[in-house]
Order: sequence, then C-alpha cells, then structure tokens
Amino acid sequence: MNNLQRIQPPVYPAEKVIIPKAKSIRLNNGIPLYLIEAGTEDIMRLEFTFRAGQVKENIPLLSSTCNMMLSEGSQNFSSEELNRSLDFYGVFLNQSAEKDSAGIVLYFLNKHIEKVLEFSHEILFRPVFPEAELNALMKKRLRWYMVNREKVQNLAMDNFFESIFGRHHPYGYQIHEHDFEKITPGVLSDFHSKFYTPENMAIIISGKIHSQTADLLNSHYGHIVLKSLNNEAFVNLPASEKLKKIHVEKSGTVQTAIRIGSMTINKRHNDYPGLKVLDSILGGYFGSRLMKNIREEKGYTYGISSSLSSLDLTGYKVISTEVGQKYCQKTIEEIYREIRLLQSVPVKKEEMDVVRNYMSGEMVRMFDGPFALAESFKSAWEFGLDNNYYYSLAEKIKTVTPDEIIELAKTYYKIDDLYEITVGSE
Amino acid sequence: MINYKRFLLENGLKVLVHEDKSTPLIAMNILYDVGSRDEDPSMTGLAHLFEHLMFGGSVNIPDFDTPLQLVGGENNAFTNNDITNYYLTIPSENIETGFWLESDRMLELDFSQKNLDTQKSVVTEEFNQRYLNQPYGDALLKLRPLAYKVHPYRWPTIGMDMAHIRNTNIDQIKKFFFSHYAPNNAILALTGNIDYDLAYKLTQKWFGPIDNRPMKVRNLPEEPDQTEERILTIENEVPSTALYKVWHIGARKSHDFYTLDLITDLLAGGESGRLHTKLVREKKLFSEINAYITADIDPGLIFIQGKLMKGVDIQNANNSVNDVINSLLNYNGIHEEIEKVKNKFESSTVFSNTSILNKAANLSFFELLGDPGLINDEVQSYRSVTYEMITEAVKRYFTSSNCSTLNYISTRKE
Repeated sequence: MNNLQRIQPPVYPAEKVIIPKAKSIRLNNGIPLYLIEAGTEDIMRLEFTFRAGQVKENIPLLSSTCNMMLSEGSQNFSSEELNRSLDFYGVFLNQSAEKDSAGIVLYFLNKHIEKVLEFSHEILFRPVFPEAELNALMKKRLRWYMVNREKVQNLAMDNFFESIFGRHHPYGYQIHEHDFEKITPGVLSDFHSKFYTPENMAIIISGKIHSQTADLLNSHYGHIVLKSLNNEAFVNLPASEKLKKIHVEKSGTVQTAIRIGSMTINKRHNDYPGLKVLDSILGGYFGSRLMKNIREEKGYTYGISSSLSSLDLTGYKVISTEVGQKYCQKTIEEIYREIRLLQSVPVKKEEMDVVRNYMSGEMVRMFDGPFALAESFKSAWEFGLDNNYYYSLAEKIKTVTPDEIIELAKTYYKIDDLYEITVGSE
Repeated sequence: MINYKRFLLENGLKVLVHEDKSTPLIAMNILYDVGSRDEDPSMTGLAHLFEHLMFGGSVNIPDFDTPLQLVGGENNAFTNNDITNYYLTIPSENIETGFWLESDRMLELDFSQKNLDTQKSVVTEEFNQRYLNQPYGDALLKLRPLAYKVHPYRWPTIGMDMAHIRNTNIDQIKKFFFSHYAPNNAILALTGNIDYDLAYKLTQKWFGPIDNRPMKVRNLPEEPDQTEERILTIENEVPSTALYKVWHIGARKSHDFYTLDLITDLLAGGESGRLHTKLVREKKLFSEINAYITADIDPGLIFIQGKLMKGVDIQNANNSVNDVINSLLNYNGIHEEIEKVKNKFESSTVFSNTSILNKAANLSFFELLGDPGLINDEVQSYRSVTYEMITEAVKRYFTSSNCSTLNYISTRKE
C-alpha cells in the first residue's frame, strides 16, 4: 500500500444529461400547471409566478411592495393569522418580485398540502392591503434601504443598472428616499387586480407528486374566473445612458466596488450558449481567468466574478468585485487586458477542457433534485423555451471552438461599449 | 431516517458512508478537528488562513481546483471556532479524483511562499470586505471580547488583528499543518451515489497509506462564570442605532441545547416569532430583530440583535427585549407556539437533509460530537422539550449578570 503512485485517476466524460420532462396540464380555467416528479422525501416546492415584476410598475417600489403586502392581511385572515398558520404547518414562504416576474414559493411537507393551498389562495387572490401594515412596512423598508445604500456593492449595482438600462426604465431607475412615501393601498390594489390574475400566472410544483396533486390544485385554483381584460402595460425598451464611466464617492471606505458590463443578448438568441461558455472562461467559476489573475495571482480581492443574465426585454453581463482601494485602477486595467486577450488569442485546449467539463458538471447540479429542477425549468420556460434549450447548451459546451470564442468576445465584449462603475473613496 | 455505515482506518481516519441513489452526484466532506479556538492568542486567524492555503497545491498536485473542475466537480470550505470543513460534489463516475485530491493535501502541502503571500493579501481583503466595509461589520469584533475574557472564542475566526496574519511565516504554517492535519484528526463523510464497498476500497487505497501524526493536545482555558452585567456603548456613522445582546449558555452537548434552540425559535423563528410580532409589528421599535444560539462545541452564546427604528430610545428598546423574553414565562397561549416551532423544526430538518452536502456535513459534525446517529435523533430531542424545561432555562440563562450588551449608536443627524 505504501508505494501507491499518487497520480491522477482516469477522467471519465460526464454522462449525458437527462432532464426529466415537466408534465404540463391546464386547470379548468386554463391556468397552466407544470408538475415535476423528483426526490425521495415526501416534500414539495410549489411556485406561483405572475408577470407582475418591476417592468409592469408605473411608480418605483410598486411591484415589490405589492408582493410583500400579499401576506399582510387577506379577506379572511389578518397578517398575524397568516404568518402563524404557515409557521404552524412548518411551511416556508418566499415572496419575491424581480425585474420581470413576481410571485411566491412555498416549501412544505406533503401532508399539509390542503392547508397550503387554502392559505396561498388567500395570499394571492384576497389580499386587502391594510393601511396600517403598509405604513409600517414602508418605514421598515426605508431603514433597510438606508443600511443597504451604505454598502459599496449595492451602490455600485444600483448605479450600474441605471447606466445600462436608463434612469427612466423600471429595470434601471434607482430608488430614492421620497419613493417610500408614494405607495398607497389604492395603487397596490390597482396593480394587484391588473397583474395578479389567472391569465397572467403559472403554477410549478415539484417534489413527490401524488396521484391527486393535480386534482387538488384544480379544486383550489381551477374555478377562479378569468377576466379577459387587456392588462398589458405599455412597456418601453430600456435605453442605456450616454455616460459610460461613473465614480460614486463614498468616504471612509477601505474597498472600492467595481462593476463593468453592458446590455447584451438573452437566452432566446442563438449565440447565448456560446456566450455562456465565454463568460465562464472570463469570470464564471473559481478557475476563471479573472479569479486566477486578480485573486489567486495578485491578491487584490476576496472575490471577482462575471455573470450573464437574461431579462424579458434584454439581457446583461457584468463583472463584479470589491478590491482594496489602492488596487482599483490596476484591477480595471487587468479586466480590460483579460477581455482583449480573449478577443485575440485562442483559448488553449487544456483550458477549454477544464471549462467544458466544469460546465458539464454544473449542468448535472442544475437538474439534481426537485428544487434545482423546478428552478431550471422556470428559467427556460419564462423565455418560451423548454429542455431543448438545455440540450443545445450542453452540446455547445462540448463543441464550441476557440475561434468561436474569439468571435464572440469581439462581438459581445467591445471595450468601448462597456460601462464602468466604481464606488469608494478616491 | 438516514442510514449510514462507518469504519475506522488503522491510521485513525473515521469514515461515514450514506448511499442515496436518487442523485448522480457524490458529496465528499472532510472535517478537520481544528478551529480558531486552537490558535495561539498571539497568532490568531491562522486556522482560517490555513483553509485558504489548502487550495494552493499539495505535495504531488500543483493546483487543487483545476483537476477537480476537469471532472465536473465543485468545492468549497469553511472555518469556524471549532472546525475546518472542506467539501466537494462530483459526478459519481469521477469520484476517485476527489480521493486523489483530498488525500494528497492531507499527506502534505507544498508550502509555497508565493501562495502564502497571495493568500495573506486575499484574507486581508476578506477582512476588509466583511468587517470594515459594511455598516455594523465590526459589531461582532467588539462583542466577542466583551462576552469572553479568557476562552479563545473571544476572537473571531478571521483573527483579532490582521497584523497576526501579516506576520505569519512559512515555518509556523508547517508547524500548524503537522500538529493539526492528519488522518487521526479528521472525519471523512461520503454521501450520494456511492456504494459502501467502493467507498471502503477507495478510502483504503488513497487515505490508508498516510501515517498518523502526533497532534497538539487541546488544553483550552475555561471561561469563568460571568458575575455582573457588561455594557459597551460605541458610536459610529451608521444609518440606525443597533442593539446586540448575548448570554452565556452551555456546550453543544449539554442537556439544554435543544431547549435553548427552541427558545430562540419562539423568540425569532419565522414571521410569527415573538420578538418580531411584538417589537417590529406591534410596537414598531425595531426595523428587524433576530435571535439564535451558537452551536459552538465549548460553552456558547445566545444572540439577540436588532436595528432600531428612527427616534427610538436604546434603553426603551433594551427593556422591551427583556419584556418579550420574560413573557415566555407566561403560560397563556404558549403551548400552541411550542407546537408551532416544533413543527417548523421538523420541516426544516427534513428539507435540510434532502441535500447530500448537508447530510455529509451533518454526519461529520455529529461524528465529531461522538455519535453520528444524532442526525436522526435531532427532531425527537427538539420535540421532547417541555414548557417546564423552557421556563427553567429562561430563568437560568436570561439573567442580567449573565448578559453582555453592545449599544451601537448612530451618530447620523436626520
């Protein structure tokens, strides 16, 4: 045993990803329901998603406040009763409002499904937006906001979104203190009646699906009457600001937050899978070029990453880091140097192999278990895509060539198009 | 019920295996029985710095991450007061690469000066990012030495002074490795798509040849009982005043650990916890408030921390927190609340144990406590807490002489 040769074991190629298909049905009133069977425990994840994100709001904070107020009192229950009951049945309720969609996700043990359906129906379709709860919430949110705006990373991200999506677009505008005074029960119930509607929603349930699961959902949600109103808000396309470099001075800070990026294609575009690979090489995993250079080689930061995100109307890419103040300019120079390298020098086979295999492993993790499956399903479905999107991504990961990477870097990472935000003390 | 098998290698490595064929992945967790409590007071932060160094190459493998990424694996690690824990997930067909990597860095690191210099800088930036560049980021740095006067829990895992990190040299690093890293000071857990027989064979092959080593004997000073209330008031440029309160409790294995865990859930578990309901919703004194216990192996702390609403007097806020704690002694309505937090605990345990990584980390930690079977007993231990146990614990622990309070006062004019 002691003369074991400590050499690398053989590397086996990742097995082909097989993604369980979601079962798609419609409730009696037409609400789409997707069922994903997975996992060994008798648990469920139930998501109600609505096209009710920030993009639909006409005043700042409206979408997020409407979503947060859903559990603050309904026709039959006070906020306290709702919260106490959900806790009593061991239910975890997540409310969230994002740029495009908003909704709730509930995690629970199967034996409590009837209660969950009863309370979720109250929360989603019978909220009353009581004024006292609203005022208390807005005061709290103002305090959270003031703490968050002290953090350089939040200030940098807010300024980045404003720059790339424009100061008038809901994807981009920043929140100001006076915005917390403008939300009234009236505007909330108006927003709710327009966007939290059966025709604007979908249900995704995953976990240990039982034979009666679909029937139960139908009996609680299948009878809600469709309104067949035209509720589409008029939506402008985001338009970037002209100024590409912004520094926000924040005195007394020891690190500077950097955000570099711009609007880009989203996952409906054919180049997106290839761009995903490029993004990974640049800054999408621990072995990425930015991480190796800025953290592991130079020690300027605890972390640096790049990411690629899809929105309904567009997409964006962003490189994010917080670095020691004295390293800020050097870091920015290195970021541009890494981009130029990707535009001019082919990625070597060894590095391509690492990123291909790492990303193939990530794809296994994306479909492992009921929660990951539901999230991956939703993030394709929202764009009108299905599992074929993931199969073509998997294929691209295996086949994209170094020359294609150069072309993608030249097309989508033009340095003159990038926005550069820094927040810290100069 | 989580089924597992365990075995012990001749060199002292303890191994646990849990098969879960519903996933294509395997999680591999290695816990080293060393944390910041094992540091010399003049060289704090070493255990955590060491965690960073463990990724900088070992005796036969120049770079830990690349070969792992090459087989689709992903990894990370954390250090706390008590332990240093490394974990990875890997598609099952390539699990042997995990064994090769983890056994090599247990065998010996390559102790490169360049890696040490870089990671000192990375850790300094981590310290800046987490503690200096966040509002309230330094609160725990102030609170620990207020609560602990003697025990090493008085310093944070990242170190009490970045000069300690800066001054560390390669000889100290080597000494630390050979007195804390060894098969006889580690626990390996494998969960997911792996057979016990394969796990046994691969563990013998890769970890078996590593010799055991004499470890530094742990001999920590005991924290003396606190006899009077401690209050520290600091002022800072933050948006709101914040209140931090801690009380000493027993060790992780003491009989009332689950009682205290349940008490903090009554106080702050979910939206319907008492502190939130009374002080955020009803009285509107706080914008947020939380309570929890540390799961430290040596005697730990109960934490309550909250941020005040604008214009609220800190003394008023403090008194109100004490009132809510004392309200637990009132019989009215509490039985339903106790049932509620027990249900929630059961639910969250079931959810937590759907993850192979959580299962691997929990099995390792419970093995360290002496019994991996605790992973299946937790819900029952929590369920067996009674009203009488709760009132007794409230009276015993929530006394003012056992309490340290940090008043973090905002100097901002509004």
